[in-house]
Amino acid sequence: MPSFPQLVEEDVLRLDEELRGLLAQSEATIALLIDAAGFLIGSSGDTRQFDLTTIAALAAGAFMANQTIAGLVSETHFNSLYQQGEQFSLFVLAVNDQALLVVIFQAHLGVGLVKYYAQPAAQRICRQLQIAHARKPDASLDLSEVNLADPRGLFRRKLD
Amino acid sequence: MAIINQATKELQVKIVYYGPAMGGKTTNLVQVHDHVQTAAGHKGKLVSLATSSDRTLFFDFLPIEAMSIKGFKTKFQLYTVPGQVIYNTTRQLVLRGVDGIVFVADSQYEKMAENVESLANLEGNLKTLKLALANIPCVLQYNKRDLPNAAPVEYMDFLLNNRELQVPAFSSTAHLCEGVFESLNMITRLLLHKFISQPASQYA
Repeated sequence: MPSFPQLVEEDVLRLDEELRGLLAQSEATIALLIDAAGFLIGSSGDTRQFDLTTIAALAAGAFMANQTIAGLVSETHFNSLYQQGEQFSLFVLAVNDQALLVVIFQAHLGVGLVKYYAQPAAQRICRQLQIAHARKPDASLDLSEVNLADPRGLFRRKLD
Repeated sequence: MAIINQATKELQVKIVYYGPAMGGKTTNLVQVHDHVQTAAGHKGKLVSLATSSDRTLFFDFLPIEAMSIKGFKTKFQLYTVPGQVIYNTTRQLVLRGVDGIVFVADSQYEKMAENVESLANLEGNLKTLKLALANIPCVLQYNKRDLPNAAPVEYMDFLLNNRELQVPAFSSTAHLCEGVFESLNMITRLLLHKFISQPASQYA
C-alpha cells in the first residue's frame, strides 16, 4: 500500500483552499480529506456539528468494503460512494489510491452538483499530493523528550 | 502507514487488535475507553460495528490522543478486527495502513488451535498487503488468565512466540483491566522506537 506523503504548510494551505472552494461551489456542509486507512487529513465547513474522526474511519471502511465488492463483480474499482439521507447525504470520491474526498451535504441538494464540483477538486488535490510525494520531506520526529524506558508509558489508567 | 503532518504538527498511527473470536479484543478497547486518563477532548467515542448479539461485524474503533511530543500531537487510532473465521475479507480491510498490532490470544487450552490459526491468518493477511509481521511492531497478550483452564504462559510462548526475534508478551485479564494498559503502552513504545530508528520519511 503506498504511503501518504508528509504534508508541509504549503500543502495544507492548498488542500484547505480546495476543500473551501468545493464547499462554496457545491453548497455542501462539510468536506473532508481522509487517508484510505481512515485518518482525517483535513476538513472544511461547520466541523463542530459532527464527529469527524469517527466519520473518517467509517467512511474509509465503507469505501474500502465497496472496493472489495467491486472486485467480486469483476469491476476494477468503484470510484465513488453515495448515501442519501433525509437530512444529510454523503458522497465519497477516490482522490487516488491513498486518499478520499468526503462531502456531507444537505439532502435537499442534488448529488449531481456535488459530483460535478468534487471531480475536478479531487484532481487538483491529487496533483498537490503528487507534489508532496515528490518533495519527500526528510524531517524526522524529535522524540528525545520521551523516556521510552519509563514503565508507566504514554497511557495511564485512572485510579478507581 | 502513519500520517505525519509537519504543518499541523500531528502524528497519527493505527494500532489493530487481532486474534481469535471471543478472545477479548473488544474488551481491551472498552477497558481503555473506560479507564484511560486523558485531557478533556482527547478521547473519542468508542464505535462498535457489531451484530445484535454484540459480536464484532466490521470493527471497533477508538481514537485517543496521547501526550504532545516536542509540539507534535500524537493521535492513536485503535481498531479491532472481527475474530470469526468467515470475516476474513473484513480483517484485511481493517489491517490496511496498520502501524502496530496487539495480538490477543485466548489462554484456554481448548482455544490454542484457534490462536495458532489466527496468528497464521494474520501473517497471511499482512502478506496480501505486502507487509511482514517481522517488520511491524507487535505485542502478544495472553488473555483470560483468570480462568481455571488457562494454559501456562511458557506453553503459549512456545506456540505463539517461538520465532527468531520474540515479541513482548503480557498476561492479561482484560475484563478486569489487568494487562490492558501494559500491552497498549508497550505497542506505543515499540511504534515510537521505530520512528526514532528509521527516518520519518519512510512512514509518510
